[in-house]
Amino acid sequence: MKSNGNGLLVYAIVYLAFLYAPIFLLPLFAFNDATIIAFPLRGFTTGWFKAMADDGVLKGAVLNSLIVASSTAVLSTTLAIFAARASTRFDFKGKGAIMGLIMMPLVLPEIVMAMAILVVFLQVFGDILGLFTIILGHTLVCTPFAIAILSAAFQSLDKSLEEAAYDLGENKFSTFRLIILPLVLPGVVSALLISFTISMDEFILANFLGGQTPTLPVYIYSQLRFPKAIPVIMAVATCLVAVSICLLIIAEYFRRRGVAKTGGKDTGGFL
Amino acid sequence: MTQRPMIELKDVHKYYGDYHALRGINADIKAGEFFSLLGPSGCGKTTLLRTIAGFEDITSGVVMIDAKHMEGVPANKRPTNMVFQSYAIFPHLTVAQNVGFGLRRDPRSQAEKDKAVAEALEMVGLKGFGARAAHALSGGQRQRVALARALILKPKVLLLDEPLSALDKKLRENMQVELIKLQRQVGITFILVTHDQEEALVMSDRIAVMFEGEIAQLDDPETLYRLPKSRKVADFIGHMNFLPAAIHGEANGEIEVEVLGLGRCHISDKQAPGAVSGGEASIGFRPETLTILYEGQAATDRETTGKVEEVVYYGDMTYYDVKLDGVADPVRISMRNVPGRPVLERGASTRVAWSASALVLFR
Repeated sequence: MKSNGNGLLVYAIVYLAFLYAPIFLLPLFAFNDATIIAFPLRGFTTGWFKAMADDGVLKGAVLNSLIVASSTAVLSTTLAIFAARASTRFDFKGKGAIMGLIMMPLVLPEIVMAMAILVVFLQVFGDILGLFTIILGHTLVCTPFAIAILSAAFQSLDKSLEEAAYDLGENKFSTFRLIILPLVLPGVVSALLISFTISMDEFILANFLGGQTPTLPVYIYSQLRFPKAIPVIMAVATCLVAVSICLLIIAEYFRRRGVAKTGGKDTGGFL
Repeated sequence: MTQRPMIELKDVHKYYGDYHALRGINADIKAGEFFSLLGPSGCGKTTLLRTIAGFEDITSGVVMIDAKHMEGVPANKRPTNMVFQSYAIFPHLTVAQNVGFGLRRDPRSQAEKDKAVAEALEMVGLKGFGARAAHALSGGQRQRVALARALILKPKVLLLDEPLSALDKKLRENMQVELIKLQRQVGITFILVTHDQEEALVMSDRIAVMFEGEIAQLDDPETLYRLPKSRKVADFIGHMNFLPAAIHGEANGEIEVEVLGLGRCHISDKQAPGAVSGGEASIGFRPETLTILYEGQAATDRETTGKVEEVVYYGDMTYYDVKLDGVADPVRISMRNVPGRPVLERGASTRVAWSASALVLFR
């Protein structure tokens, strides 16, 4: 048994190293005073971060991505609240088929969707490509994820909680506001963060539907052609990792607070 | 207790698709009464409670509460409040917020509402618990919060959906007594749904026994126990022994019956409360109405003989399964264990005393 356990430990370490070692290399080269990404390291510099901050196009791309990601997060989470509520609480004709179709983007190849949407947009609306079209595309992709998270949250709600509030004189709307929404709030926060994250680093749809408006991933991809720009990209990536960790901490905080508030058992994992 | 009906149910039917859940319920529930709906799971008792609460529409019939038609009146506009089986305590609120939840639309000042909440908490024995988080409460405390939350609105009717089923035996028995006291104190009509016959007998003024969407019998606990109208009701409430019987005549309010194992006797026609079904007649009697006679003890009325097949010792009681002479199936007899009365052993022959006045005829 003992040796078996050790084998699993080695496996776990190798797995985690493969997962995270490349990410630890990012800040290493972001602060390295050389244009070439190779060991040995030269000297310490914050120059790449300064170059990053001075890059107007980059800043524009970051701003675009933030606009797209926040709009997508709000839009897809809102839609997901409706869908998750409907699918967990009510029975209606064709529910299975409708929910199946809504969740389909989870498994559809993004490139297929990107092309299809692009063709429709261009044929029907003419040249309207820009942030708005990216947001539409991203909402399509993010909504199923948000629904998956929120369905779990709504599912765990005891139906008699709603009935109790209704019985105590509230109407359907105030019951939703006073009882249901506070109890699914951790799920809502999770859905917002997941949608935001997915939208933030989505490349294919953004590339197809963005026209001349690059988001951050599209910009980074375009810069990879220039070896000189790579250390700046490393700096950008370092910032992204830092932001991701912050988001994760926020998400975990809300999840734990939600668990504590409702007196549930902590099962670990923030989704 | 006034005799004015608080709730009138007239020929209430409820269908779920093709499933006929309530099959013509007729009942008057009096104001201030502790009324129980008793039956096995799936008998429609919870459905009936929910139609009174307004959570379920009825397919046909009339539900009146306090002389008002309830058709089209939603649950939040009915003068009823409910204690749910799961208690449905709002986990994100404090105890006081839970109890005061229904007062949100109350025009009184906050100070008055706080006072009402404190009073309600004191009434259910949770004085000083107001600031606690609701999710940190024990099962018994949750149930008290649910009670306080429903009673603070001073409903005309309090509906209780198996409120004690989640509690352990000791706590359940304590809560039964507390609920009775509480009901007397507030004077509100209580309607309790339960599948536990003992609970119903202990707590209720009247009990409606339900089977398959119909009320099989509606009576006070004692009548229900002593004079069940059908074998099914008799079987559901406590234990009842049955012996085949033949009716030999009926005159002057008396029925002459020949009971297998007991012999011929006369009973009052009041001891045949059920309708004539036309099936085979049988005589029923409760385990405590027979007496195992010890050596030399004389029977006060009639006696017969039998053999002890099984002995189950309960401490205060002993249950004997006795095979009466001439009867294939043993009957159950319960005896209180008092000093000087030995507990019989299996296989012992014994004399059994009985009285015709304790028999019930099903025909």
